[in-house]
Parts: sequence; structure tokens; C-alpha cells
Amino acid sequence: MDDLKEHIDQLQSESNLSQSICDVQKAIDLLTTARAKVAADPQMAPVTLAKLQEPVRKSIEAANNDLKKVHKGLGAYGKALDRRFKDKPLPTAENDALSSHPQLINRAIAMHLLREGQFSVASTFIEEANAHPPQPEPTPATPNPYLQEAWEKDPANGTFDSHKLQQQFKDMYHILHELRQNRNLSPAIAWARERSDVLEARGSNLEFELCRLQFVCFFIGRDEDGMMTEDSADGPLRAWAYARSEFGPFQARYGREVQQLMGAMAYWENVDDSPYRRYFYNNSAWEEVATSFTREFCSLLGLSADSPLYIAATAGAIALPTLLKLQNIMKEKRTEWTTQNELPVEIPLPPSYHFHSIFVCPVSKEQSTDQNPPMMMPCGHVIAQESLDKLSKGARFKCPYCPGESHPGDAKKVFL
Amino acid sequence: MAELTTTKLNAESHLLLDQPLLRMPYELSRRNFKTAQRYLERERETLLASLQTAARESAKSSSPSTTLESLDTMLSRLQSLKRKLEALHAEEMKMHASSKARLNHLQDLYDVGSLVDVKYDEWSRTRLSRLLVDYLLRSGYSKSAAYLAAEKGIDELVDVEAFVQCHKIERSLREAHRTNEALVWCQEHKPSLKKVGSQLEFELRLQQYIELVRQGHESFEGGGGGGAGTGKLVEARVHAKKYLSGNGDMELMGKAAGLLAYRPWDEVEPYASLYAKSRWEHLAHLFLSTHHTLYSLPPRPLLHIALSAGLSALKTPSCHSAYTSSSANASSSTTTVCPICSTELNELARNVPYAHHTKSIVENDPVVLPNGRIYGRERLTSYNDKVGTEKGWVRDPVGGVNGDRWKEGEVKKVFIS
Repeated sequence: MDDLKEHIDQLQSESNLSQSICDVQKAIDLLTTARAKVAADPQMAPVTLAKLQEPVRKSIEAANNDLKKVHKGLGAYGKALDRRFKDKPLPTAENDALSSHPQLINRAIAMHLLREGQFSVASTFIEEANAHPPQPEPTPATPNPYLQEAWEKDPANGTFDSHKLQQQFKDMYHILHELRQNRNLSPAIAWARERSDVLEARGSNLEFELCRLQFVCFFIGRDEDGMMTEDSADGPLRAWAYARSEFGPFQARYGREVQQLMGAMAYWENVDDSPYRRYFYNNSAWEEVATSFTREFCSLLGLSADSPLYIAATAGAIALPTLLKLQNIMKEKRTEWTTQNELPVEIPLPPSYHFHSIFVCPVSKEQSTDQNPPMMMPCGHVIAQESLDKLSKGARFKCPYCPGESHPGDAKKVFL
Repeated sequence: MAELTTTKLNAESHLLLDQPLLRMPYELSRRNFKTAQRYLERERETLLASLQTAARESAKSSSPSTTLESLDTMLSRLQSLKRKLEALHAEEMKMHASSKARLNHLQDLYDVGSLVDVKYDEWSRTRLSRLLVDYLLRSGYSKSAAYLAAEKGIDELVDVEAFVQCHKIERSLREAHRTNEALVWCQEHKPSLKKVGSQLEFELRLQQYIELVRQGHESFEGGGGGGAGTGKLVEARVHAKKYLSGNGDMELMGKAAGLLAYRPWDEVEPYASLYAKSRWEHLAHLFLSTHHTLYSLPPRPLLHIALSAGLSALKTPSCHSAYTSSSANASSSTTTVCPICSTELNELARNVPYAHHTKSIVENDPVVLPNGRIYGRERLTSYNDKVGTEKGWVRDPVGGVNGDRWKEGEVKKVFIS
């Protein structure tokens, strides 16, 4: 990178058109002076003009010669670029399965913009995309793309209603903004309370976390809107009142936590030195609550917490070098990879990019699919259906991993 | 065997997607320079010539007014040259500044240690914004593109202006059925077009010829007298002689000549396809691909390339399965939704191959419920704690609080290798 930067510095400071402009200006100056002379003394015009020839020619030639330096500078930079990207070809259009579904890409982008909170960009985009619908192009997998694939049509969820989605994400950003910037929990608590059944069934303790944080806020002397109150001695009293009115429903499930909070009341004067300190002076609590709120909010919409487009594009950039290497090897050996529905190489990704559990049959080394699901034998070992069929041939057989014998009918389909 | 996971970041190979980022301003500044060179060359010759003439003239006749006049013309030409150069200089400096900003942006990646670093996350988000802007520009959604670039503060990392120009020309072909803008562009890029052996200009000239012939036939039919029609056809012939005859493709020439005999509505091949409106689409495509090759831009949006690779790398057979996955679903807060299963990408990922794995990836200490669902024991316990399942019982996180429950003893250990 440094050599490229040097070249750019050179272009910025020296090898540019400024010198030529100077020389052109010199020529202009010469002509202007000459003109004044001719006007003042017409008799001497031929002499003046004759004298003018050489200097003007020189300065204009100079302007032209100055360009050589620019040319050299640009050439050097271009060569440096070539060197840098010598063995890194531009990505080609091979294996492009997406050009036949521009509408789906557009939808993914619109949803990405909405969930990032870029509402006005999103509405501009939806407007433009509606005015100029994209043209699907055939790809190897889809030679005849669907021409009339409507923008709003969503095969999975009925329709893609951008207005509704936008409203939902607007709500989300409003609540997050209040949480993060204004330390105001009320909108979030109201949201969670409305959905407390669903959240509870999901095993989410978001509502309690929010209320606990509210209690802490009162305790250290903030009011409902997150403002610091003048008399902070009131804090514990207000917190106490809040706990009495709100914590009732939590008693069953969060009895222990509620008890701990109540215990802290005893230290209301010096909670800082008490064993309860960690509940009250925990700065990351806000960020944690915000993250868990975002997650629950998106999950209730059936969406992943982080933008899928972001994760996929990042994973793509990580995978690309490996895929490119593969492409080169295949070209060299003139082979084609035969299983079209599975990549031929393993792509190492960071652990946070693994979402589903993966089952690879220890016998056939194939990944399980709906057609070839993992089967558990009574001994607790799991192999793929096809392997099971091959091993057993319908009769009692021995588990390949332990002495246990069983009938194929005893094997049970499992879900990872 | 390849490693299953990695957090190593190899900046060098990671920049595969980013070559166009540096190429574009470089190509633009090269073209900028060429224009400056052309201007200067032309003005130098005229200036020196007219200076000599002026000197000769003033030596012959002693009329000072003509001398002054010719000096004034020279001055004004030089002034205008200087203005042009200054404009080009400003443009040039803008390009260099943006190259510099891009280099700094790429340099940032070298300073990031690993893929799980927060700084990588930030960098990658900027990259996504860049890819999105690139995609929007290529799709012709320039307003959204400019808006997004401004919102994200990445104006120097994207080439809004260049793409806007490009799409103006493309639309003039596709929608207005006009060749002028594209021909001007061809004129500006003549040397480079020649170098890559582009057929663009020829195709445009051919289209002009076709349109002249079409107009000729139409005015014959329109009853406006034969004169206008003949005139157009003669014009077409002259046009063909001037622009098309040098091409050397005799078969095509034959077809073109045949147009004179066949009318647009005759539906006789190959003439019908030459008359077809779809030729404009073809021209628009040809223009775009020529433009992209010339500026070292990949033929498909970078977002496609990144996404295709990413979808495959992330996709598992579970993502389009009929059964709910135990490890990633929306029904309990102990799991997150997988990005491929999320509405945004699910349909899009249907046609890409799924990732290859040679080893199972499962949670620690997997156990199986009587309904066949497998969970890591820790996650199962934590879910049941959170929903407050009665002591000694277990519920399935996918089934939820109202689903079946089993005695703890029915939960069995499962062995997955």
C-alpha cells in the first residue's frame, strides 16, 4: 500500500497540470505585454511581433513538455497498481446465481436499509426501483428468469409491505434511541409488556431485565424520563414504591433476583461499598439490554438480529480467496465439480458465522439433508439414513461405533 | 484437511473485491490527462501558426488594427485553453484525493488483526455500503446511491459521477433510441476502443443506417410522395458507404444492403431482427459492457459476487428444510435466526450450492428429547430455567411453553462424531 501512496503523493504535489497552467499563463502574459506595446507604438509592430515569436514558442513548448512529467507519474502509478493486483484478477461473472433474481436482491437491500434505520434512503430506493424495475438476466441455474416477478411479491411471507416494515423498524429505532441516548426505559417496557406472553413463551427475560434496570434507575435517583432528580435521597424510596407496584408478576419466576434487589435496600446509603454494587453501577447494562431488545424485536418479526446482507457479504469476502483458488485449480485440471448443490471445498469462517448445527455422517461423510436425515440407533450413535440402509440391508445389524446391535426399524430420526 | 474455522485475516487476499476501487479513479485521471494533452497539442499548433502569420502580415501591411485583432484572438484562445486546463486540473486533484482516501481505507484493513476484531466489523460495514452504492449505481438508481453515499460519508470511496454519465448514455440508447450521446462517448474514447477492438461504434453507425432505411420505407408508405422516401434511402446509402464499408464483414454488409429491399413490416429474416426494437437493448448492453471493460469494472455488480460467495459459505441443508432446525430458529430466545433463513435472503439462496463440511458441528454435550430434537444440554437447561418449567420436567424450546413436556429421565445422551 505504501508504494501506491507515494505515487499518489507525487501526483498530488508535483506531477499534475499546475505547471502547464503556469506556462500557459506565461504565454498569455507575453502576448498581453506585446499587445500593449503594439497599441502604444504601432510603428514598431513588426519588430515587436518578431521578437515575440521565440519566447511564446518556448513557453508553450514548456507547457507541453510539462505534460511528460504527468504522463510519467500516471504511468508509474498504473504500473504499481498492476503489480499490486498481478495475481488478483477481477472477480468474474462465473457462478453468478443472482442476476436472475434482481427483485429479490432489491428486496434484501430495501430491508437492509430499513433495519439499519436509513429510512429516507430506503424510501428513495423503493421509489426508484418501482419506477425502473430491474431486468433479470439468465444465469446457468435459471436460464429463463421470471420476468414478471413483482417487486412487492414475497413468495415466503405473502407480500413485502415496505410501509409496515418501515413503521416497525421506526418503532424499534425510537425505543433504542430512548434507551441509549435518553436512558428512558418507558417505551421499551411498554413494548415488552404488550408482548409479555410471547416473550415469556420464548424464555426471554427481557421484560424483567428492563424493569430491573428501571428499579436501579429510581434507586440511584433518576425519574421516569431518565432525568436526574434534584433530591437523590428520594431515590431508594421511589425504587421501593416501584418495586411494590411492578414486581408482583415477576415474583414466581424471578423471586431470587427480586430478593437481591430488595436486599440492596438495606444499603441504600452506601450501596457503593455493598455486595450489591454490581447491580447498580454497571455501565454495560444499558448496552446489554439494548442488544437483547434488538434481538427479541427482530426475532418476533422472524428476522435475524444482525443484517443478513451484512453477514452474507462479509462471509462472501472471506470465502472469495478460497473460491478463486478452487476456480483456478479446476481450470488447470479441466475438471468440473459434479455435485452442483454443494460447494466442493470447505470454507473456514469465524465461529460466529456458524448458525445451524451441522451433521456429517461418520460413515458416508455426507451432510444430512431432508432426503437423507440423521438417524439415531438405540445405542445413541447417529448415522445418516442412507448409511443405515446400506449397513443393515433391512436386517439386524451392529452399530459401526459400538458393540450394540439393533434393528433398522428401531432407529429414530433426529433433528439438529 | 482444511481447518473448520478461522479468525485469521489475510488482508492481502482479502482485497480481491477491491481492485475496481483503485482502478476507477486511475482510469478517470488517465482520461483526464489525455484530454488535457489533446487540448494543449491543438492550441499549440494553432497559436504558433497564427503568431507567424501575424508577424508576416504586420511586416507587409502596416495596419496596426489587424495586428491588434489577431493578437486579441490569440489571447482569447489562450485564455480559454487556460480555463479548460484549470477545470481539468481541479478534476485531476479530485481524482487524486479520492485515490488517496481509498488507499487509506484499504490501508485500514492491514491494521486490523483478526476477523473477530470490532474494527474489522466496522470496516466491513463500510465495504458493504460501498458495494451497495456500486450496485445501486449499476442498476441506474443514482439518486438512492448518492443519498446512501452521503448518509454514510463515503463519497470519496464511490464513483457516483462516472456512473451517472454512463447511465445517461445507456438510457439514451435504451429508452430514447438515440445514438448521438453514445457516439460522442466513442469519439472521446477512440484510442482505447481501438485497442480493445470494440465493435461499439460500428454497431451504432449500423443502427443509424437502419433507422434511415426505416424512415425511407415509412415515408414511401405514408403517402408523402416518393421524394422524401428516396431521399432518406439515398442518405442511408451514403451513410453506409462512409461509415460501414470499412468493416469487412461481408455477410453483415449483405444483410444491411438487403434492408433497402425489405420493409420493416415484412417479417422476413434476417432483416426483421435488424429492424427489431430489441436491437436498442442490445446496443445499451454493448455500451455498458464496453464502458465497464474500459474502466476495469467487473461485468456484474460486486455485490452479486460477494453475495453469491457468502450465501454459499453460510448455507446449510437446514436452511431450506421442511423441518425447523433445533439450533437456529425464531421460536425461542436461546437461538438466533440464521441469516440465510431470514426473509431477506432465504429465496435468494435457494439456487446456490450449500457449504461443504467434513465434520459435524454440534453443541457440547448433545442430548436428545423423545421427539427427536437434539440440543446442547446447557442450552436446554437454561431455556427450561427461564420459562420456569416445573422441577424434574423438560420442555422443547421449539415446542414452547404450551408444547409437550417430558420427565428429565427421558432426555438421553446422543453421540455424534
